[in-house]
Amino acid sequence: MSVAALTKKILHAALFYEIWDAMKVTFRHMLHRPMTFQYPREQRTIPDTHRGALGLLRYDDGQERCVGCDLCEVACPSHCIKVISAEDTTRPLQRYASEFYIDITKCVFCGYCVEACPVNALAMTKMYEYSTHDKRSLLFDKKRLYDIGERHLEDGKKYLYAHNQEKDVEQSREYRYYFPQSVQKSTQSPPKHLS
Amino acid sequence: MGLKPATNPDVEAATIELSIDGKSVTAKDGVSLYDVIAMTGKIIPAMCYHYTFDPFGSCGMCLVMQEGKKAPVRSCTAKAAAGMVIRTEGEDLFLARKKAVEKHLSVHPLDCPVCDADGHCELQDMAFQHGVTNLANAKQKFIPEDTRSPVLDFNMNRCIACAECINVCKDVLMIDALQFMKKGGFNQVVAKGDLPLNCEFCGDCLAVCPVGAITNKFSKYLYKPWQIKKTTTTCNYCGDGCQMYLETKDEEVVRVTSPLSWKNKWGDRSETAKGHGGLCVRGRFGFEYLDSQDRLTQPLVREGGQLVRKPWLETMHLLVDRLTEIKSKYGADAIGGLVTARCTNEELYLFQKLMRAGVGTNNIDSSARYGHMNFVLASKHAVGLGRMPNDWEDLTKAKAIILIGSNITETNPLTAVRVKEAVRVYKAQVVTLDSAITNIAKLASHPFLIKPGTEGMVIDGLVKAVIDQDLVDEETVGKHPKAFEALKSAVANVSLEQASVLTGLPVAAFKEIAAIFAESPRSIVLCAEGIVRRPNGYQNVLKVMDLAWITGKLGRAGCGVNTVTEEPNEQGAVDMGAAPEFLPGQARFDDPGARERFATAWDISLPPVGSGAHLIEILKRCKGGQIKALYILGENPLATLPASMEVRAALERLELLVVQDPFLTDTGKLAHFVLPACTYAEKDGTFTNLEGRVLRVRQAMDPLGESVPDWHILTALANAMGCQWEYQSANDIQAEIMKLLPGYYNLGQPRKIAPVPDQYLSNGYTAEVKGRYQPISPSGEHTRPFSLLMGQLLAHSGKMSTQAPGLIKIAPNTGKLRMNIRDMERLGLQDGAKVRVTSDRGSLQLGVQPDQSIAPGTCFFPEHFNEPPVKDLMTVLVDTTTGVPSFKQIWVSVEPA
Repeated sequence: MSVAALTKKILHAALFYEIWDAMKVTFRHMLHRPMTFQYPREQRTIPDTHRGALGLLRYDDGQERCVGCDLCEVACPSHCIKVISAEDTTRPLQRYASEFYIDITKCVFCGYCVEACPVNALAMTKMYEYSTHDKRSLLFDKKRLYDIGERHLEDGKKYLYAHNQEKDVEQSREYRYYFPQSVQKSTQSPPKHLS
Repeated sequence: MGLKPATNPDVEAATIELSIDGKSVTAKDGVSLYDVIAMTGKIIPAMCYHYTFDPFGSCGMCLVMQEGKKAPVRSCTAKAAAGMVIRTEGEDLFLARKKAVEKHLSVHPLDCPVCDADGHCELQDMAFQHGVTNLANAKQKFIPEDTRSPVLDFNMNRCIACAECINVCKDVLMIDALQFMKKGGFNQVVAKGDLPLNCEFCGDCLAVCPVGAITNKFSKYLYKPWQIKKTTTTCNYCGDGCQMYLETKDEEVVRVTSPLSWKNKWGDRSETAKGHGGLCVRGRFGFEYLDSQDRLTQPLVREGGQLVRKPWLETMHLLVDRLTEIKSKYGADAIGGLVTARCTNEELYLFQKLMRAGVGTNNIDSSARYGHMNFVLASKHAVGLGRMPNDWEDLTKAKAIILIGSNITETNPLTAVRVKEAVRVYKAQVVTLDSAITNIAKLASHPFLIKPGTEGMVIDGLVKAVIDQDLVDEETVGKHPKAFEALKSAVANVSLEQASVLTGLPVAAFKEIAAIFAESPRSIVLCAEGIVRRPNGYQNVLKVMDLAWITGKLGRAGCGVNTVTEEPNEQGAVDMGAAPEFLPGQARFDDPGARERFATAWDISLPPVGSGAHLIEILKRCKGGQIKALYILGENPLATLPASMEVRAALERLELLVVQDPFLTDTGKLAHFVLPACTYAEKDGTFTNLEGRVLRVRQAMDPLGESVPDWHILTALANAMGCQWEYQSANDIQAEIMKLLPGYYNLGQPRKIAPVPDQYLSNGYTAEVKGRYQPISPSGEHTRPFSLLMGQLLAHSGKMSTQAPGLIKIAPNTGKLRMNIRDMERLGLQDGAKVRVTSDRGSLQLGVQPDQSIAPGTCFFPEHFNEPPVKDLMTVLVDTTTGVPSFKQIWVSVEPA
């Protein structure tokens, strides 16, 4: 070993060089903005296309959008949806879902059901926090789904816009399908959006 | 008849040749071009076409190019002609068809997601097939839904005016309840006169509707077609044995559909002679009892005067203990069994085997005893064949049909459709002889109204008229001159004039009917409830046999004497030996050869010859105390037989009454043990229909609650009583039946056995016929003026259908006596007025209602309902030969109360 090398070794040992070298990384990170954030005190901003919990939507006048057509049930690859439909006795010809269940523990968040829905009644929201002590409460029923839809209405609409399913509120009633309106008498004039 | 093949079976149409897509094809002259193309296997879309009726030509889809014509032609309404050159494919045709679809879609609401037909819609298929994605000038109809009918909803927004519903109703079923009506600028299908639909509710219009315009109220908006499991099975209501699809979702029966459907539209018109695949109101809308809340789901055991729920194991232990105790104490003949003909063949076989081999008694009978047994025994006696000699095809292609006492549109609606087809397509002469104005009489060429209870005298008169007019077939009669002489001398004292006075049928009519029957090449007699369920049924069937014999119709192809059965498996009950006089295969119980065979097969010694009792005898012995234990499988004698039979007293005297039924019946309420059985939807097996066809019953769903199939209960019971039965499924029982009765199943096609009367005519006929034609005594003097009849309604079958809410909605128990309007006027009665009906057995107060089908001098009450207990006014006459009880007619007086 040469004298120069030995001197360098002794100097490094005396000045704790390795420690300073290692601390360099640490000190450099003190000047960075943090990568992590303080969940749950801080929340991440979620994109509109995010596929979170499913919710059922209503029209602006409060009427349920869902017509109980069972198409989401068919589209679902994990068979987590069950729709029981019936006729609305007060409005002849109007079919609606008398019961609607989504087993969210089985859901794979593929969004097929939203895509299948002919009336854009289903939407995915930005809600993802629904952990619970009781697994049974993860079988979302119709009421729960409408609650989610109401609370996250804006998110749901944004999801639909982002996925090109619905353009704006005016158009929300114009779909690929023309549903029969509840006709009570034969002289009734057709609704505005169909005339 | 338009463009369909020449449907006269006697005339062969000429053969022509034409070219389809470059291939030479031979066809019958006069056939629709569409049929010719369909026969080659090519399928051209057509939405308004169905093979069961004439082409209508409204949809414009079946376009083909014919050489020499500029525009495409509609192939359905075009007649195939010799030398035609036809092209069925090509871009131009595709576009023309696409245009037709667009035309239909432009006035069709695009509401597929909420439509019940979604996934089962021809318009949807066509739009997809032709790639219709964009509709210019779409126009919406705004028509309110017609929901006035109890079973069908008419949503005319979806109608494409294909008229399939109208055509099937008018052309096939001859009911003609629907029509087109221009309303709100659109042609709509409405019930006749735009009134609430009031028809036979067979639902065939629903079956053929290619879109969702006619919807089923029972399954409306419930499920999409792809969510439902479809099981092909046999209807459980009458002896027609219609095939149907039971559509279920888990434990719920959603609806019933028929083989007749817009999906099943290609076929040959001549195939409908074997049945058009439709259903009747009972089959299509009477399914709700299957998953009813009232079904028994647990065994019940009587404890301290009350029926208490018990687990199966405990129940079976108790039951077997009681049964063996009674057997050892009083002997095997103290036990009897009654079985319903709504069970499968396998279960009927097991039941009689349990009774004969397990218990060791011949006290066994089935509900075939209520009437069908009269026909079976008479026919077996005379011609050696214990079932109908003719099938539906014979009936359709007959030239003359005599319906005596057969209200077949009500009792066996699909057999009635065959008669209607005989009238409509094959131009048959139909003679109806009935004491009611039946629906089939309205279509018949020779409808005759006779006085109630005189069916037998009418036959006397007909035999006499044949002999008087010398219409006898010399060849057949020449073979048995002695028998004919005996018959001649027997009818010598029958006078047509007197018969005419008693029956109300003019002498000329007797002669005309006799001539029609004798002179037609294919003549069929149908004697149903008016013969077999009335007094002297056995003798009357034999008289009809005489009539058929002397006119040479017995044993000739396409001719014969037939009956219809009320319950699905009455024929099977007889064939499986669920009767004291028969072993399986209709072998006589006293036939030593057959006894030997079954004793070896079952490894037992059969009960002695001469032992055994039929239904009435069993009840009598119950009352007399000889029978201590009665095992009733599905039967309900308490609710069926009049009070004068004292069934309640007989059953109450029993030490052990076991009732096995899907429902807690009136008889069940008296029982010591009630075992919950399955309905036909929950088990496998077979039914033998009235033609003798063996039809499969398939399991559509799991047994409800703890109910168990009948064969399973019977097997368990037999094993607990010491038999060694190893049946794991209905198939195992079938295998045993196949071994013992080779050829019985025969892939569902009964063997054609020509009825041969020779044996009977040369032995014992002369002695028997002497007493058959008693000179008619003037017994027309009745102290009571009205004839009260009990019979079936179209929407009901036995007591079972009253458990189906849908059928009750269609035909509720009005609790009123049905009378002719003139009689009501004469008595000064309004609709709903109370009357007192008095018979020799007692009197009853009830309301009246007018009914068009009731003849003057008669009144009617449906046999399905016991509220008020009209059946208790009846007296029971038991046939001395066959033991068949007849209790459907009595003379009453009706007075305003």
